Amino acid sequence: MKLPPQILRLVLVAMAIVGSYLIARAVLTPPTFGEYGWYRGAALNLIASREPVFAGKQACDECHSDILHNLAKDAHKTLSCEGCHGVSREHSNNPDILPVKATGSHCIRCHEANLARPVWLKQIIVKDHYGPKCTECHLPHQPTKSP
Amino acid sequence: MNEVTNIVVEALPQVQGYVYPNEAGLHPVWSTLIVIYPYITGLVAGAFIMASLVRVFNVKALAPVYRLSMLTALAFLLCATLPLLCHLGHPERCYEIMMTPHMTSPMAIFGFVYAWYLMAVLLLELWFDFRQDFVKWSKTTPGFQGLIYRVLTLGVTDLSEKSVRLDMKMEWILSIVGIPSAFLLHGYVGFIFGSIKANPWWGNVLMPIMFILSAIVSGIALCVFNYIVLTWIRRKTVDMRCLDTMAMFLFYALLVDAVVETLDVLHRGFAAEEGFAVLQTMIREKLFYTLNIGQVLVGTLLPLLMLGLLQLLRRRVPEAARRTMIFCSGAMIMFGVLMMRWNVVMGGQFFSKSFRGVMSYKMEFAGQEGWLISVAILCLPPIILTVLVKLFLSESEHLKPSEHLPETGANS
Ligand code: HEC
Ligand code: HEC
Ligand code: HEC
Ligand code: HEC
Repeated sequence: MKLPPQILRLVLVAMAIVGSYLIARAVLTPPTFGEYGWYRGAALNLIASREPVFAGKQACDECHSDILHNLAKDAHKTLSCEGCHGVSREHSNNPDILPVKATGSHCIRCHEANLARPVWLKQIIVKDHYGPKCTECHLPHQPTKSP
Repeated sequence: MNEVTNIVVEALPQVQGYVYPNEAGLHPVWSTLIVIYPYITGLVAGAFIMASLVRVFNVKALAPVYRLSMLTALAFLLCATLPLLCHLGHPERCYEIMMTPHMTSPMAIFGFVYAWYLMAVLLLELWFDFRQDFVKWSKTTPGFQGLIYRVLTLGVTDLSEKSVRLDMKMEWILSIVGIPSAFLLHGYVGFIFGSIKANPWWGNVLMPIMFILSAIVSGIALCVFNYIVLTWIRRKTVDMRCLDTMAMFLFYALLVDAVVETLDVLHRGFAAEEGFAVLQTMIREKLFYTLNIGQVLVGTLLPLLMLGLLQLLRRRVPEAARRTMIFCSGAMIMFGVLMMRWNVVMGGQFFSKSFRGVMSYKMEFAGQEGWLISVAILCLPPIILTVLVKLFLSESEHLKPSEHLPETGANS
């Protein structure tokens, strides 16, 4: 059977479109795609090769073991140093670069009263509490102790 | 202390009631761009369905607007993905969704629905409809424009009766394929919202249906609007039979749409599921103007009243008044449907997942998510349409009235 001319042209155009899609797909799909799942296999190495930014508690142990010891004794034992002091990887490699100064404002990030917080977390309403400068009465590493 | 206290103090006025900490500082991530995206796709689907009335259901009176509505659908479809691309932030990666599509991702499948609708339905149907004209124009038009026509013929110059009959048949088949495709295109947008189970404002099986119905309504309104504006620009008289028929379809479509949306509200009220209280606050406070005034009053009740009145009185209303009333209803409906998209998209982001608090949102002006860029995108389809109309709807051939009305004979 012979196709009418306009249908023939359309079939050719359609084949060209589908063909260029298939070629584009072959060229543009990343080579390691689908190796393990619906992503580039090479992405794993790429992510693994990135520098970690946090140092972790153990890294501080080398020079601040006293603080680690104190921290472990009191209510803040579950917190990580860098949760309050910020990313300190550079500092732990080179103590001359100091971490960002921790101020009292760190405290209300976690302790300001909010209904959505779990009840077991001790919360205060800052303006009704004893004073705004937390470290005057609480040792940050041993919060139930006062200086 | 200062820095953090400031955040606490600043965040609070934006919220009322009980919201989760991570919701307090956040403003809606889906902003005006995501509002106009379903709006534009809806206009496409609606304009196409309006055109199908001519081909599939053989509504002769609408023949003068057939091509105009098809070109309208095309102009808007070409811009339908722009809001999404702007919203994504990495538009240059958009092809990836097509290269490695995942069958469980509605967005990936949308790429194919969109491509299918654009290439296999709209462009093909337009091509078959215009083919004979392309051949004629390519012979008579000189210069660059003539070259465009020549390219568009794809080199087929056969105008025999047999091939013209084949064109007609193909158009008919394509329209029939096109109606479900148009439903799919826009039903899918409703599907994406409707399948967000955790959000009571969105997660609703009626969502795709409401999106399709409002799409049809807005599409017909757009065609009415374009038709009147085009005849006005070209200083032609409006074919009243055609306009009245459009108004009739607009009325019935709007009626069905209004009924289904009311049904949705009634059903939500009756079922009164856990999120209902917060939805009530939304309707009473947060969305008061856009929902009650914009969508319900301006976008639905007033046009229903005007169009309904026209259905009743019909010929007793003088033509000029009829034209104005239909034009105003069309414009109001288009505005109302835009408000409906706003209510759906923003509404779902105004309340906390706790169902006990609400957030507010201040529209950005410039910037990636600002409303300036949304307005710019909304201006684009009319510009494209102007070019298309200039190229493909020549003054003499198009907008010819249906034979039945002698007084508008001056048009042709
Ligand atoms: C190589 C040893 C070393 C390691 C490892 C180390 N520090 Fe230090 N750190 C120091 C020294 C020395 C100082 C005192 C610097 C000074 O007072 O000038 C200091 C001071 C500090 C200070 C006080 C800064 C200030 O503004 O006064 C903080 C906070 C601190 N370290 C946090 C950390 C944390 C958190 C870690 C673990 C990620 C860490 N350090 C790991 C040596 C170290
Ligand atoms: C609850 C938040 C918090 C945690 C957790 C925390 N710190 Fe601190 N840290 C502070 C604050 C606040 C200060 C500042 C005290 C001041 O200004 O008096 C401080 C001060 C310091 C200092 C300065 C010297 C000193 O003793 O006052 C060092 C060193 C230090 N922290 C190390 C650490 C290390 C190491 C850890 C992890 C074992 C840690 N911190 C965990 C809040 C914290
Ligand atoms: C990263 C979150 C976090 C930060 C920042 C933080 N805390 Fe805590 N705090 C906790 C947790 C978790 C506990 C243990 C749970 C509890 O007992 O409420 C705790 C316990 C306490 C307690 C003991 C309550 C009790 O009687 O058992 C005090 C006091 C306290 N924090 C004060 C502070 C002060 C002062 C600061 C600022 C230097 C601070 N916290 C910063 C998380 C935090
Ligand atoms: C003037 C001293 C003082 C200051 C300043 C102060 N506190 Fe306290 N805080 C106390 C005392 C005393 C208690 C224990 C008695 C109580 O619970 O009322 C306490 C208790 C707490 C508790 C435990 C509450 C509970 O329910 O058991 C938290 C958490 C706490 N403080 C956080 C803070 C934070 C955060 C700041 C900084 C904004 C701060 N405090 C400033 C004296 C102080």
